[in-house]
Amino acid sequence: MEKTGKKKMSAGKVILWGILIFVAVVQIFPLVWLLDFSLASSNEMFTNGLLIIPEKIQWGNYVKAFVDGNFLHYLKNSLLINGLAVVLVLLVSIMAAFACLRMQWKLNGFVKTLLLMGMMIPIHATLLPNYKIYSTLHMTDTIWALLIPYVAFSLPQGLFLMTSFMSAVPAELEEAAVMDGCGIYRIIFQIITPILKPSIATVSIMTFLNNWNEFMMASTYLSSPKWKTLPFSVLEFTGQYSSNYAVQFAVMALTAAPAVIIYVILNKHITKGVAMGAVKG
Amino acid sequence: MKKMYSNKLVITSLVLPGVLLFVFAILAPICLSVYYSLTDYSGMGSWNMIGLDNYKALMRDEAFFTALRNSLFLAIGFICIQHPLAIIVAAVLDKLSGRGESFFRCVYFIPNVISVAVIAYLWKFIYNPNFGLLNNILKVFGYKGTVNWLSAENAIWSVLVVLIWHGFGWGMLIYYSGIKNIDPTLYEAAAIDGANQKQTFLRITLPLMKPVIQVNVTMAVISALKQMETVYLLTNGGPGNATQFTATYLYQQAFKAFRYGYGNAISVVFIIICLLATVFLNKIFEEREPERRGR
Repeated sequence: MEKTGKKKMSAGKVILWGILIFVAVVQIFPLVWLLDFSLASSNEMFTNGLLIIPEKIQWGNYVKAFVDGNFLHYLKNSLLINGLAVVLVLLVSIMAAFACLRMQWKLNGFVKTLLLMGMMIPIHATLLPNYKIYSTLHMTDTIWALLIPYVAFSLPQGLFLMTSFMSAVPAELEEAAVMDGCGIYRIIFQIITPILKPSIATVSIMTFLNNWNEFMMASTYLSSPKWKTLPFSVLEFTGQYSSNYAVQFAVMALTAAPAVIIYVILNKHITKGVAMGAVKG
Repeated sequence: MKKMYSNKLVITSLVLPGVLLFVFAILAPICLSVYYSLTDYSGMGSWNMIGLDNYKALMRDEAFFTALRNSLFLAIGFICIQHPLAIIVAAVLDKLSGRGESFFRCVYFIPNVISVAVIAYLWKFIYNPNFGLLNNILKVFGYKGTVNWLSAENAIWSVLVVLIWHGFGWGMLIYYSGIKNIDPTLYEAAAIDGANQKQTFLRITLPLMKPVIQVNVTMAVISALKQMETVYLLTNGGPGNATQFTATYLYQQAFKAFRYGYGNAISVVFIIICLLATVFLNKIFEEREPERRGR
């Protein structure tokens, strides 16, 4: 009796593992395929098997992708713009959260609701008018054309998370600081901000993930390559090498690499951050 | 202390950056959109005010309703396919403890961090009739001939598959952390009462996950409405209007068909639809809220 029970348990375990492995294969195999084809030559692609064993590993694909795809330039832009966006979102959302939560004024509820409204507005509905505004103000092809909308559209979520975390910070801490003669700015940046560390991590991760992959605004507001971001190494490359598939695979793998590598390294923190943001949201 | 906390100058300095950003990047564009939606502006040259003609035309525009239907299709697809899968996998993952758990969680989430541009082009290749992965898989299983995954009938399903694949890890992770938040003593109590795994899942896990499911369903509907990037690169709304979405359609109208005024009318209606959908979903879910709060 006991034996059959145990057997059943292990059969159940096998099914559980089977499900998990199957889903993992579905999720990861396209990427393995991408990597495999990126190392082959274009002539080898028309096979009947699922994966190719390249006759000679074509590292040259990656060299072409790296050089002709302007990889470093686009990567640098992406890092710079996203880094700045994260810092600005944090700064603006912490200040606004403090003002709406702790400061005493009549419009605090109204302003908070107004800023949070941004969460409901579809980004793409602002593409047309924003294009007009930026071209009238000669801001197209500048870093501002990306930075302003990136920060503005990440702000509502940042503010939402910051206010919900900040409301858990006890007010007694501030009272003590006021007794010691701290001003408001010092209270915000030297007392509140350090306590908010975990939520700062969450907001940073959410903002970074949202904007890292963005290209619709970038392709609308930018025409010269000066400030274009990483997705453009793929978008522009495919036109240039339209018949050389293998090199296109290489440029895709290369473009995906930074985010995947960072994710695998910071896996635990990112998972925690996303989960925290999602549960609060 | 009170005086310090109601200093108008300090308050202004704290909220001004946020308010300015909101006005400049969100509010002003919307107002401008409303204005241009009343014109016949093509994107260049001069324009005339034409009143509500753009909106009237929109109400008769077959393609616009196709776009809305496609959004509805996506939303239903997410809710009926992606989310049940995500909940089941999350529940299964919760049963494993130890190393496998974080490994699988990591693997499932990886597609999520990859740029939409890469995802869209990668799937274009996967659907490729000549050397694409999917047709090769069919060949391995002995199917002869090729399937055109991006034909008028298949394209919307192909789009759905890509989006489910790309967003699966995110949904799974949210459900997973919801399950982790359930008090383990409830499971112990159920085990003592002799409940099997299926009963525990249906009677304890699912009911307690209700708030998480509600949030996720709301997000699914909104993201189905807002869909643009993947479709724009994968099919650009085609073939014909088979995979048209509101955002891709307004973009095409403004920048390809040179009907900038009309594109703005679509933008305005698009915003209204998103606002209504959010309010509506919150309303439905709120009705059940008091019971929960009462506990």
